[in-house]
Amino acid sequence: MNEDRKRILGMLAEGKITADEAEMLLDSIGTETDVPAPTPTPSAGWPTGPSASGTPKFMYVKVTGKDQVDVKIPLALLRTGLKLTSLIPPQAMEQINTSMSEAGMSFDLNNIKPEDIEDIIQSLREMEVNVKSADGDDIKVFCA
Amino acid sequence: MSAYLPPLVIDVRVKEEDSRGFRIWLPLFLLWPLFFILLALALVGTLIADFVLLLGGARYHHHTLLVLRSLGLLAAARGTHVRANNDGTRVNVDIY
Repeated sequence: MNEDRKRILGMLAEGKITADEAEMLLDSIGTETDVPAPTPTPSAGWPTGPSASGTPKFMYVKVTGKDQVDVKIPLALLRTGLKLTSLIPPQAMEQINTSMSEAGMSFDLNNIKPEDIEDIIQSLREMEVNVKSADGDDIKVFCA
Repeated sequence: MSAYLPPLVIDVRVKEEDSRGFRIWLPLFLLWPLFFILLALALVGTLIADFVLLLGGARYHHHTLLVLRSLGLLAAARGTHVRANNDGTRVNVDIY
């Protein structure tokens, strides 16, 4: 129990405040102390741009403006996902390629070979996407 | 082996400007025993299916690998962090 709560309960015991007033005061303290405040964005310690050297470990998506969003995704997820594509049954892969083609992404996932995955990951180090949306938000995607 | 370990914990924190907010700490590791039993059963099934397909001369007989790689995909989600802030509402999602 923290000092503020003790003081309020003490005042209630001494009759200086009513039970209703005590409840109101305890509620107001509760909003400040019950749940630890999440880390404010932009997240401290996260890189703000692509790393100059080394193999990238994470993909970062940063949205700044009216909304603030920071997303950190391990590239291991991408690596494992790409490896998984080589094991998808041919019939399912045909359906995936057809659906992607219909959605305007006409590339064959079969062309991604497991031996190329590391090269793809490595080359992501040089990738940086900057988008300025109509509502004023800046979106930045990079790997570091 | 750690490449195949599913996430241990998912931590979700929501804090609104004028309310108490809440925190959900999901100890996924408690579900691991059940998960691994189901996984073992699935692997037995896929091993038998792959063996039969291999004997039958089918070109595709990688269902067991597909299940294992899917497990790897789940495991690779560890280390994902999301921080969002909109109109005084802050949401943090962390997967460990």
